[in-house]
Amino acid sequence: MWAYAIRRLLLAVPTLIGASLIIFAMVHLAPGDPIAAVMPADATQAEIEATKKAYGFDKPLPVQYLYWLGRVAHGDLGRSIATRRPVIEDVRDSLRHSLALAVSSSLVAFGLGIGLGLLAAFRQGRVLDKLASAIAVVGVSVPHYWAGIILIIIFSVQLNWLPAMGAGSEGGLAEYLRHLTLPTVALSLIPLGVITRVVRSAALDILAQEFVLALGAKGLWQRTVFFHVVKNAAPQILTVLGLQFGFQLGGSVLVEAVFSWPGTGYLLNLAIFQRDIPVLQGVILVLAAFFVLLNLTVDILQSLVDPRITRH
Amino acid sequence: MAIAVAGSGVTAAVAHPPMSYWRAVGWRLRRDPTTLAAGGLLALIVLAAVLAPILAPHDPNAGSIRLRLAALGTPDHWLGTDEQGRDMLSRLLHGGRMTLLAGLTPVLVAFVVGTVLGVAAGFIGGLPNHLIMRTMDIFYAFPAVLLAIAISGSLGPGLWNTLISLSVVFIPRVVRVAESVTVQVKSLEFISAARASGAGIGQIMRHHLLANVLGPILVFASTQVSLSIILAAGLSFLGLGVTPPAAEWGLMLNTLRGSIYVNAWVPALPGVAIFLTSMTFNLLSDGLRDAMEIRS
Amino acid sequence: MRRLIAVTAVAVLALVFATSAFAQGHLRIGMTASDIPYTGGQTDNGFEGFRFVGYQIYEPLINWDLTRGDRLPPLVPGLAESWEVRKDNPSRWVFKLRKNVKFHDGSPFNADAVIFSFESIKKRDAPHFDSYGSAQVTFRLTAIKGISKLDDYTVEIDTGAPTSFVPYQIVYMVIVSPAQWNKVKDWRKFAEQPSGTGPFKVTRFVPRERLELEPNRQYWNGKRMPKVDKLTLFPMPEPTTRLAALRSGQVDWIEVPPPDSIPQLKGAGFQVVTNSYPHNWTHTLRLDKEPWNNKLVRKAANYAIDRVGICKSLLNDMCIPATGVAYKGHPWFGKPKEVYEYNPNKARELLKQAGYGPSKPVPKAVHLISTSGSGQMLPLAMNELIQKNLKEVGLEVDLQPVEWNTLLTRWRAGFQTPDNQGLNAWNISWNFLEPWSGFGRFFHSKSVVPVSVNTMPYLNPEVDKLLDEAEKTFDIAKQDAILARIHEIIVDDAPWIFVAHDLNPRGLSAKVRGFVQPQSWFVDLTAATVR
Repeated sequence: MWAYAIRRLLLAVPTLIGASLIIFAMVHLAPGDPIAAVMPADATQAEIEATKKAYGFDKPLPVQYLYWLGRVAHGDLGRSIATRRPVIEDVRDSLRHSLALAVSSSLVAFGLGIGLGLLAAFRQGRVLDKLASAIAVVGVSVPHYWAGIILIIIFSVQLNWLPAMGAGSEGGLAEYLRHLTLPTVALSLIPLGVITRVVRSAALDILAQEFVLALGAKGLWQRTVFFHVVKNAAPQILTVLGLQFGFQLGGSVLVEAVFSWPGTGYLLNLAIFQRDIPVLQGVILVLAAFFVLLNLTVDILQSLVDPRITRH
Repeated sequence: MAIAVAGSGVTAAVAHPPMSYWRAVGWRLRRDPTTLAAGGLLALIVLAAVLAPILAPHDPNAGSIRLRLAALGTPDHWLGTDEQGRDMLSRLLHGGRMTLLAGLTPVLVAFVVGTVLGVAAGFIGGLPNHLIMRTMDIFYAFPAVLLAIAISGSLGPGLWNTLISLSVVFIPRVVRVAESVTVQVKSLEFISAARASGAGIGQIMRHHLLANVLGPILVFASTQVSLSIILAAGLSFLGLGVTPPAAEWGLMLNTLRGSIYVNAWVPALPGVAIFLTSMTFNLLSDGLRDAMEIRS
Repeated sequence: MRRLIAVTAVAVLALVFATSAFAQGHLRIGMTASDIPYTGGQTDNGFEGFRFVGYQIYEPLINWDLTRGDRLPPLVPGLAESWEVRKDNPSRWVFKLRKNVKFHDGSPFNADAVIFSFESIKKRDAPHFDSYGSAQVTFRLTAIKGISKLDDYTVEIDTGAPTSFVPYQIVYMVIVSPAQWNKVKDWRKFAEQPSGTGPFKVTRFVPRERLELEPNRQYWNGKRMPKVDKLTLFPMPEPTTRLAALRSGQVDWIEVPPPDSIPQLKGAGFQVVTNSYPHNWTHTLRLDKEPWNNKLVRKAANYAIDRVGICKSLLNDMCIPATGVAYKGHPWFGKPKEVYEYNPNKARELLKQAGYGPSKPVPKAVHLISTSGSGQMLPLAMNELIQKNLKEVGLEVDLQPVEWNTLLTRWRAGFQTPDNQGLNAWNISWNFLEPWSGFGRFFHSKSVVPVSVNTMPYLNPEVDKLLDEAEKTFDIAKQDAILARIHEIIVDDAPWIFVAHDLNPRGLSAKVRGFVQPQSWFVDLTAATVR
């Protein structure tokens, strides 16, 4: 198990480096001159060259990449071209909000998802199963940004129960939670659907195993079987939970756009339209790193739960 | 990761002789009412999109702003008009073409490219496998939405760039599934038996591997279509996908957003369209998976 | 015991009333900017930056009087008590500065602060040169060649050649606190703890989220002491988001509500205030490349646009059609020969005259537009319509949307940069507050990039001569007449596609009282209260 864990950890390093290469390449693919934003229109060529030098844009791309990577290793993600603040500050502030959203949305999706999935599996074929499965399919199929808009129409505009945008960071915790509600619901729909289906499927797989049927025939229903199912389905469920958490953290852009939730997705969106390269690079890198660590954790946890599972 | 594959509902089917297997799958598909209904609805949607130029009562780009935001049920504009006065029904029909194109093409590309890469990696093993799989790992480091947006953000808006960025998103996933399934099947006993009996590589590939490998990959790919559609529409929603004045459901959702206060139903229509299409694909892929597995 | 309870109850009640009294004086504004405008002095995000940040935290030497809505705002003394051009040397102006004014950080305002602020914009090698701030405003200050200190409360402005435009340009340069800057020695840090002389001062700055301000109790102008207790600014570039925020009570004031929602807003008890102001919404065309290098094609474009449709049907009467730089009734309108109206047939005729037709189509043009922004109204919807109108007569235009501040940045750099080479127009809303902003910076040949923003470039010696004459004319009535002649030429030359004049709609909750909407891009927030 340890060997596996160490191997996975070591693998994460080149993965991250590869990811950083892709990020750097992607961002510099983008057309546009980032220097124009900070220079007065009557800047002389000499001044433009000097500024380019200050930002490091005068060096060949591979050198720029290595410089960037070196600074990243020291925790310096550069400076935003739009706000001239250190990118790490912007990323840190927005990450807090995205995490809050991802965590609350995951609680809803995981809790309901596992519950519905197990319910459906144990009542397979019956009404409750059909209902839970229907909810799951709907959840998976709904475009969450559209769901967000509908939620705003109903709960914000018509009923005026909940706020439509922002994070309400001026009020206390209660205000924050109020602002968190609608984005959470919108973001949790797809994971809810996915988790319900996976849990149902995994549970059914186990229930179909012969000795479980035998257990059932003996009358040792409910409790024993239930725990047996949960324990054996755990690895699969764990994986999908991990993946879905990653989806909610890194994939919240659309929901954040609809609700103006000041998370990393909102920051990313803004940076794209402002062509703010340092911010783009920084945000994507941090999110990718999170995701890689998340996958790593999930893999290791899995191998803990079921030692038979190791990556070939 | 073998478990990820299992978690997505795909397991390599136990070895079957190819021909009657597919027939059995088809038979099972026809028996399931939900799948039939979904299939019918999908056929309707695709037909409507393909025949859009004939079916649409109006030019999707022609509108009179004096008629904007007409409500549902307006004579001559049964589904209302958008914020520029264009007929919603016509735009939904034409928009379906864009959305389906942007949704299906990347998955198709990913299916072809991913299968080739993944099966090769799984079959050959060794260093090529490592190279391919580690490269895919790097792309897997990004959540799908993030990667799509990052690439689209760099390349700029436009249909082609959307197709490229979404293909890049889905190829690693298909490769992973393909490789995993190939490795599983490769190790099955009957393969070694076939080898021992002197069957050539080509024969083995054709008869056993492909039949038992393509199935699960196909199922997996079909589960990604709905995500692809939602992502494609989502990119347009953010302004990174198809550009105005093209009719595309995600873009329509974006431009109609400001009108939800005047008339909440018309702006909701493109979202309903995305939802229905996405759901039919999900139901169909469910049916396919059920039909391909053996459940007592 | 009972007495203790009674006293506590009274205290609690008093506290409740007191805090609720305070809580009522909080004005929360939703702006169209996508981020908080630069707080380091010379602000960004166009005039919305001036409106909510530049002119609230800081002040220039001369102010606009924004307290009335029934006339165009005149210039009044700000940090300068008086100013006049020297009789012996008309290229020099003497400004007498106001005494006993303190910056937010407590340091005194004097001539040194004025020099410091000017150098931060114009003096490249100064340690306190603000390259970002300078880029925002330097093109507005072309007449001001130098400022020198005569004594602690007198400065002299050197304009090189005589020009009557000085006060109009001085109004764009706000004064920052040298003492505060010297404490932090860095403009970014200064922007986080800004110090100006304005009626409001910053208490909290959360980037991309909010800017919190409170009244400056040391403000020198007792007549303009803010009545609210707190002012908070939110960036909200999405019209729907702004609307939702207003309707749900998250903010009390939004800029540019979606025009579709205005009847509903009024019905729900909100106030929708409008007023005309010197604004025009145009496509500024590139004149050195096809297709807009041909005057007939430009005129055709102007006849192809259904302005009445845009204003009535798309914008719910929140604008009026524009057929020139200024609107009819403005002293500079004059009597242009061309009267642009919606006439697609005439447009097609003009194109034919220009030699274009089915066998020789007009080359496609690429126009840079924004997604939101101060004065931009509803850019995406309006531009889609214009694109359609133009297509109907045979003019193909591709729209490229970018973020507002990005658009401004690219515009200032001009069409010739590699970034902008492929573009044929910008869609930016302009102001014509005074002759320089309305005409000088665009139509004089000496305003070509990088000196100022004649990006087209428009080169007309007759207009040059008239502009120079206007600049030397210190009599307002005579100056207006010259500008009207310039306007007639411009309208006939059609270097822009004229579309609309905005009516500046704002959505206010019923609780906001005392605010007067001036005929201006800017506002005076000091008289407003929130009950």
